Amino acid sequence: MEQKSFLQNLMATVPKFLPVAAVVWLIVKWFGLPVTICWGMAGIVIVYAILLSIPSKKFEEQSFVKNVGFKTPVVLVIGAGVWFGAEYFGFPIWWKIEFLAATFVALLFFLTLDLKPMQPEKKAANWVIRLLATYALASGIFIGITDQLPQFDPGVEIAKLEKPPLKLSAAAGPEVIAAGRQVFQDNKCFNCHKVFWEGNSDRGPNLGSKQIGLYSDDYIKEQILDPRANQSPGFEDKKSKKAMPTYYGDDLSKDEITALVAYLRTLRDPTHMPVEGKFGAQWTWWDDKDAIAEGKVVFEGLEPVTEGLNCSVCHGKEGIPLMQGALDFRKEDNMDTDKMPDHLAGVPMKDWPDSLWYKRVTRGIDGTPMGPWGMIFPHLYLWKAEAYARTFHDPLDKRTEKRPVPPVPTKEEIEKWQADELFLDPLL
Amino acid sequence: MEISSPIKQPSPFLKIVFGLILVFGLVSFSPLSFSGFDVSSILGPQSAFAEEGEEDFGGEEAGSGEEADAGEEDDFGGEGDDFGGEDEEDGEEEGEEGEGEEEAEEDDKSYLTDIGPAANHELKPFTFPGIGNRKAVWLAAQYHILFASFILGCPMFVVIMEVMGARRTQGVRKSIILSNVFLGVLIGVTLGIIGEIIIGIHHGVLYGMWACAFGALIVSFLNYFHRIMDIRVSSAVGGVVGALFAVAVTPGAMEHVYLPGYVSALIIGAVGGMLSNIIMFAKADFKFERLAHEITKVIGICYSFTALTGGLFVLVMVVAYKGFMSYLVDSFPVLFMIVYPTLFILETIVMYIYVYSWDPLNRANKKGRHIVFGVLLNVLGLTLLCALDGPATFMQTPPTPLNELPNIGEWNRLTTSTWMPLNYHRLVGNGTFGGYLVGIIAAYMFLWSSNKEEKEYYDWVGYMGNIIGVGIMIPLPAMGYIFVREIYQYDATIGMYIMSDRESMFMLVQGLLVGTMFSASNIYMWVSMKRIEGAERFFPAMKFGFILIVISATIWFTPRRFFATMMPEPGMDSNMVLPDNLAFLALMVSKNTAAFALVTITLVNYIFYTIATRTGKIHWGKINPLGIYVLIFMGFADIWLLSWMGTIRELSRMNWHIYKVFKDVTPDKFTPSLADAGMFVTMIVWGFFIMMTAIIWLGIKYPKMQKQKETEAAAQAAPQMAE
Repeated sequence: MEQKSFLQNLMATVPKFLPVAAVVWLIVKWFGLPVTICWGMAGIVIVYAILLSIPSKKFEEQSFVKNVGFKTPVVLVIGAGVWFGAEYFGFPIWWKIEFLAATFVALLFFLTLDLKPMQPEKKAANWVIRLLATYALASGIFIGITDQLPQFDPGVEIAKLEKPPLKLSAAAGPEVIAAGRQVFQDNKCFNCHKVFWEGNSDRGPNLGSKQIGLYSDDYIKEQILDPRANQSPGFEDKKSKKAMPTYYGDDLSKDEITALVAYLRTLRDPTHMPVEGKFGAQWTWWDDKDAIAEGKVVFEGLEPVTEGLNCSVCHGKEGIPLMQGALDFRKEDNMDTDKMPDHLAGVPMKDWPDSLWYKRVTRGIDGTPMGPWGMIFPHLYLWKAEAYARTFHDPLDKRTEKRPVPPVPTKEEIEKWQADELFLDPLL
Repeated sequence: MEISSPIKQPSPFLKIVFGLILVFGLVSFSPLSFSGFDVSSILGPQSAFAEEGEEDFGGEEAGSGEEADAGEEDDFGGEGDDFGGEDEEDGEEEGEEGEGEEEAEEDDKSYLTDIGPAANHELKPFTFPGIGNRKAVWLAAQYHILFASFILGCPMFVVIMEVMGARRTQGVRKSIILSNVFLGVLIGVTLGIIGEIIIGIHHGVLYGMWACAFGALIVSFLNYFHRIMDIRVSSAVGGVVGALFAVAVTPGAMEHVYLPGYVSALIIGAVGGMLSNIIMFAKADFKFERLAHEITKVIGICYSFTALTGGLFVLVMVVAYKGFMSYLVDSFPVLFMIVYPTLFILETIVMYIYVYSWDPLNRANKKGRHIVFGVLLNVLGLTLLCALDGPATFMQTPPTPLNELPNIGEWNRLTTSTWMPLNYHRLVGNGTFGGYLVGIIAAYMFLWSSNKEEKEYYDWVGYMGNIIGVGIMIPLPAMGYIFVREIYQYDATIGMYIMSDRESMFMLVQGLLVGTMFSASNIYMWVSMKRIEGAERFFPAMKFGFILIVISATIWFTPRRFFATMMPEPGMDSNMVLPDNLAFLALMVSKNTAAFALVTITLVNYIFYTIATRTGKIHWGKINPLGIYVLIFMGFADIWLLSWMGTIRELSRMNWHIYKVFKDVTPDKFTPSLADAGMFVTMIVWGFFIMMTAIIWLGIKYPKMQKQKETEAAAQAAPQMAE
């Protein structure tokens, strides 16, 4: 029978595969995957159609030397591409090594596919050697991989298991916090909750960026023991609601809960507004209508928790200062006060860093009625009041875009906050 | 029509066997025969669920040297719930306080329970020299599970092969109704779970199982009398009848319309009907009969090894973990003392009948009855598997609230939240394991055969082994997923320990193994296709598939971080974490896509392979020897994977024998390192391979050699023509 040309085959094959590609596209879409993946999968079907259209020809196997000689340079080029591609996308070294290793596995794959057939065994010794080599290869791969991947130290494991149960009676502040962090770690909280840069996934809120430490002990305790009672903003979907286990009340002792809460209370950021929402769809309290609404209550002196604090007495309910020298929040080009040694020159109010807002409100301004409110009132409410104050020159309903979510602070930055004593609390 | 046989009545041998089974069953299930029997008196001095006022033989302090060594309180967790009861001294003191001295003398009944000087004997801990207690248990348990997986996995497809190889007599056709229903249950459960996971069909397993089983039943039954339906009609009848039945018996299905459930039942029922039709009217191929018979011979020997290693496992446990064994047995007295021995003995009887009645029943033209024994063997085996999964999952996910454990019934202790998922997982896993071991048997026999016909035959057996292994492995990730999902729902800490903490690198190795196995399987198909004329037209597309396989396997292998723990510990680099913007590569959505791609590409390659076998001439026996070693490699990898997954599951209990109920306070309580576990599992697999090599030789090769010698001797001793 006469063999058809590639084009003839293609004309016959592609129409048959098009419906398959369409079905694949629909199925992938149905699973809720991005459109690019839908097209990618459908494209793979078409590539199959094209490859199946190539006229059949006798498959020619190659010797090992010829095989290696031809394929190795190709794989080296691909490997270099993979390496630099991974570098470009920001993959750390271990992943670059993994991808490069996969490229060489592909080389082995294709060497095997194109090799000339092995000679049949002529005597028992032949197959015994080959059999042992097969076992050795399999064993070598598995032993090698398990030996080379990162390990943990059994000695450390035993020491952890033999640690006595937590007793807080003899523990002081920093020790309680350290014990709380250990409780956080031992109960795998890091698996869902990052704490600034530490942790494994963003399944739950980053407790550092969210600044869970701003909240009261009771609130934090409730979040641990009855997590479904109060869902964190942005995590109201069905999956997130079910994600946090409800058994910590049974699992943790009273001392462990106390220590855990003490640790969580330290999670604050004096340089940024709290961040809400899931990774990829986050926002700060600057743009949080609920936080702003609560901030208005604080600003106007109506919040029972901050009884005695009333910003509107000086700054005015409508943002029109009632006292001379009080900052006019309506004017976005106002500058920082020059009464403080850490005066920030040349930056208008609309561009003030969050840390400046925080500092001025929590520490006050020397020689003015602006007191160090942070020494008196919970900082949670102060941040909210600041979020509201901004709306006088930057009304929420007129904003076209949200303020950028700050990058997650690094370990060095966090250490610097402590060194610079940015927190008012000596334990932080 | 059944060919008439001179033997109309069951043989006396079978009658006796049936009689014995009946008597044994009656005796075993009679409550009278075991009344007053105290399990703890045999297996340990401790009554794990000691009730108030109950005589306590020393408690855990005396019962377990482990506890005494560690110097800890006998508190088995769970908010101060002490299942061990008070120790003997305390009990005595309380007695003295409560009663007067004279009264105590009068009412002193201690002589009734005084066991003699042994009461003062303190049980001493024993450490297995060289490897320690945990590794001794690990070794024995692993060998037991490997052999058990083989003897439970293989019969599932052996009986179907026997059907495929049997001439369609009336008796065989009757037995096919039964075997089709059995196959329908297996396939229905598997497809049902896939529907449950991928589409989220509530009660998907039940819809699938009932629809497929009843679809298979009705089609087989109707086609038994006459071929009244072709494949299409069978599919339609199976689908409709199966779906109707499934809707009738699935809880809640009648109360409100649930379209996804109905549609899945319709589809799965149609699959049941279609397969039943195909099997009922398949042309008998003797190759299947021979394959099934040879595998059964190996099963027979492996059965003994299963019992042997099972006994070893129990002995090692009794010596190494006395207290825990007492507790466990006391938690499942009916299971361990009645159900398990009954099932085990029944299975043994049926298994030996199945193995040794093969030739006699064939000769007596009673193939149908033999097939029924095969189905019965499977039913008993699977029941046994489910029964023993109870304690296994009880150890991992004991029913909550834990302080109610002593008050709940044994059935509730057995049917934990992960019980059924583990049953599904092991059911499918054993099938895969059996398939790959068939591949190994084929490879060995190919290497040990010298004549052309034998090589051709074993080349075909290897092809079948690969199909079975890969085919059943395809739904395996779904079963693993449903198991881990239940673990997460029970206690996310265990799930995280597996996926993100100490066992995360173990899971990475699992990803590597799955990728390796799929890759090796595709290489085998490639090598096999080279011996099929005209298969070259598929090679460019298959090569493209190989590129996709490497990419998919790489994604599966890609972790979020290269830590061996959840948080970096000394010696771990904090930069070994994937940045947030690239973290999607390590999430389940990417893993699932990679797994789906691996499965799909393998399926596509298999379709190419099947088309090639149907359109081109296959040169059986001419396979590139590389294919034979690939089969062995795959078998090795699968045994390693099975052992590895068992290791992961056991270690996920952390330092608990029974999670949050019975703490492990022995020196071996910690999770071993990856390297240590990898080396030990490799050692176990080598040992298993050596034993299996000997078993295959004894079961298949040696009898062949003997037969050949006898044939040659007979030929030499043939009577000479009389002069």
